[in-house]
Amino acid sequence: MNEFHFDVAVIGGGPAGMGAALKAQQNGASVALIERNPRLGGILLQCIHSGFGLKFFKEELTGPEYAQRFANRMEKTDVKVFLSTMVLQITPDKKVICMNENGITVIHAKAVVLAMGCRERTRGEIKIPGDRCAGVLTAGQAQHYINIDNFCPGHRFVILGSGDIGLIMARRLSLEGMKVQGVYELMPYPNGLVRNLKNCLDDFKIPLHLSTTVTRVIGKNGRVCAVEVTKVDDHLQPVKGTSEIVPCDTLLLSVGLVPENELSLGAGVQLNPKTNGAVVDDRLQTNVPGIFSCGNVLHVHDLADNVTMEAEHAGESAAAYAKGIQSEKAAAVSVRSEEPIGYTVPSQIHSLQNTAVKFRVRRPCEHASLTVVSEGKVLMRGKPRKYIPSVMEQMILPSAVLQKAEGEIVLKIESE
Amino acid sequence: MQKYDIIIIGGGITGCAIARELSKYRLKIAVCEAAADVAAGTTKANGGIIHAGDDPVPGTLKAFLNSKGCLMYPILSEKLGFRFRKKGSMVVGFDEHDHAVLKKLLERGRLNGAPNLELIQGERIFDLEPETNRKAKYALYTPHTGMVDPFEVAIAFCENAVDNGAQFYLSSPVTAIRRAEDGTFTVTTPKGELTGNYLVNCAGVHADDVARLAGADEFTIRARHGDLLVMDKNCGIQDVMTLYPVPKPETKGVVLMNTVSGNILVGSTAVMMDKDDVASYREGIDELLSGANRLIEKLNTRKVIRTFAGNRAVVVDNNNDFYIRPSKKVEGLFHVAGIQSPGIASSPAIAAYVAQMLKAYGVPMTEKEHFIDERRPPVDFSELSMEERDRLIRENPAYGRIVCRCECVTEGEIIDALHRNPQPTTVDAVKRRTRAGMGRCQGGFCQQKVLGIMAKELGRSPTQINLGRADSQIVYSKLKEGC
Repeated sequence: MNEFHFDVAVIGGGPAGMGAALKAQQNGASVALIERNPRLGGILLQCIHSGFGLKFFKEELTGPEYAQRFANRMEKTDVKVFLSTMVLQITPDKKVICMNENGITVIHAKAVVLAMGCRERTRGEIKIPGDRCAGVLTAGQAQHYINIDNFCPGHRFVILGSGDIGLIMARRLSLEGMKVQGVYELMPYPNGLVRNLKNCLDDFKIPLHLSTTVTRVIGKNGRVCAVEVTKVDDHLQPVKGTSEIVPCDTLLLSVGLVPENELSLGAGVQLNPKTNGAVVDDRLQTNVPGIFSCGNVLHVHDLADNVTMEAEHAGESAAAYAKGIQSEKAAAVSVRSEEPIGYTVPSQIHSLQNTAVKFRVRRPCEHASLTVVSEGKVLMRGKPRKYIPSVMEQMILPSAVLQKAEGEIVLKIESE
Repeated sequence: MQKYDIIIIGGGITGCAIARELSKYRLKIAVCEAAADVAAGTTKANGGIIHAGDDPVPGTLKAFLNSKGCLMYPILSEKLGFRFRKKGSMVVGFDEHDHAVLKKLLERGRLNGAPNLELIQGERIFDLEPETNRKAKYALYTPHTGMVDPFEVAIAFCENAVDNGAQFYLSSPVTAIRRAEDGTFTVTTPKGELTGNYLVNCAGVHADDVARLAGADEFTIRARHGDLLVMDKNCGIQDVMTLYPVPKPETKGVVLMNTVSGNILVGSTAVMMDKDDVASYREGIDELLSGANRLIEKLNTRKVIRTFAGNRAVVVDNNNDFYIRPSKKVEGLFHVAGIQSPGIASSPAIAAYVAQMLKAYGVPMTEKEHFIDERRPPVDFSELSMEERDRLIRENPAYGRIVCRCECVTEGEIIDALHRNPQPTTVDAVKRRTRAGMGRCQGGFCQQKVLGIMAKELGRSPTQINLGRADSQIVYSKLKEGC
């Protein structure tokens, strides 16, 4: 078995992994990055639509272009990149065991950055009954078949879920001459970004049916021939008598993303059941000292640009840890949220400097104010505005507020 | 036209086990299977429990073959290289009514001769299976209950039969059967005709239809449909004993099992349905989830990764027993029908029983001198130590390329599966042999890779490769030519 020693090992070569690796390297650490695919870029490589980079580069790029900017930067550094290499295990003492065509490799790292991204929820997970025939695939899977493999996975599509990948695929399918019968969304509101609803559905006259879900897959000779769609009530339960049969040969699912934390669990990393990502502090460090997490494996982001910025922070923290310049004091403030806020990242804060806190609401809130409360006292109240679940919100907790916090602060959203 | 001594119709676990058993003799054997792969019907869609023989009605053929069959598994597992795991089972009771039923089950089990059954109560239940619902008061403990992946066993039987000369015709539904004056049968399939001196009907839920094709309208089969579901390996519990609730007259109830691959499996419902309806139903899924939680509260029922369903063959007016006998109407035709639970556990004994039946009937059966009783087992990369993996990759770099990341399946394993006989030609057939696509992403990441490897190894375009059934193409065509 081959063995290597590095200050920082980064797991995953998508936007998160590259962002973290570059920043850790800039901060003087020796860095290894491990990527299972033969190229850097992760899922961005199949996202050939534009809309990336507006925040980070202040220009509009496609997914592969955005990824290439970082891959080019990587080339100019001495970050050791292991391609076509799969991590099998990460131990709590930060041994990264991986494999590729040369055999098993063990990387001994002082710090590890988890940047494995997320995966799509499947038909099995949401338990759509009916025939188990060909023609049911996730939006990302269809995206790979079309954009990477040059294959036509279907002719007439129904899309379940109005997440961004589903919306983007609705447009992509239309551009390729395939028919999209409609997009169906369980919730009473759309789950994708407003710009995608307009650019991907409205512009192509694709109907969006809210509060409606697919209740059965109907197959014929081993392939989907229709789906049954049914309206749901306020408790998201199908309403009898409202079913309709929609003929199609393919059902695309865009029903949510799940951080891929199987390796993290093996390393003893504690997960937050609300995000399915690690519980982290303001340095993005998990409960295992020296293991950091960023990007979609930490919590599902809305934009790749936000992933990059978070990853840079994790890379910086990992380098500091590896060099022994991170203070080991216990966290000063813990952060909690209340409904309709689903979660916060981080959930522990060490530094009493200005600190970025990210969160998402679980349902749309009109004209609502974000308030920060500690020990019953309101420390901060934002201006009333609209919050929607598809946007990952970011706010800065000012140093002054953190100084006043008594051990715990609570983020709330109050509608007027 | 191909001539055989024996034609077996149906390549489920029963047909495969019989083909293997008969391949011990100097017989030319053919198996016709309607689907593109063996084990593609009832065999793939059940829990895979190797029942210890305690449960069938004493005195039935089922009781006899179950107790005999389950004892054959440990040796078969070693010889044929499939996984068999014996962790025992408990029927869990919650009140005095359940206690009374358990006493009856114990009595029945003892009558059947099942070894080491115990009626236990209190803490002993939790000593044996700590995850059991704390409200459990009584349990019937059966230490010899085992688990297999049923399709893995059927494929092992099939490959071993092929090694011993049996021929499998896949995608070959039998559409007509003629019996000539001299007693030979001609069997028509879309791929051509076969002749054989004897027919063994193992056609599962369609065994009555096959019997009718042969002119033997002597029994009717109904299908008992069962929903099942597979949990993520990460569902709050692992490595548990098989747990049953106290049964109701019609069904054994919702059972919680631990597959040999480490997933929790929950099944099955029991509803009489159309023979070809293997869709899953919402009502069934809901029943399974609540039933599973009743056995183990800690099970996280949100962690479902797959639902599936299968049909068990029930011969009408046959007391739920197996129907294994020479046809009452057509000479040289044998029925192996109504193979419902515990069909997997019974299958090797069914095969031996059928061989005896043929011999008694007068089929000339001489044992071969050189029967190959072992099969080269497939490599299971996920089960190897790091050192073994390193060595294997250095011998063959294809084992260094992970295809299915959820189940840790390598390209080497997939290529090996594709060069076995019979050759798997569908994505599902590769899945059943390698587990590629059986994990939590359900092929979301690996299906296109599997498709690519299959296209290369089979020399076909991906557009010609099906998911499972005929016409179940995964991709239709190239989007743009010239790329």
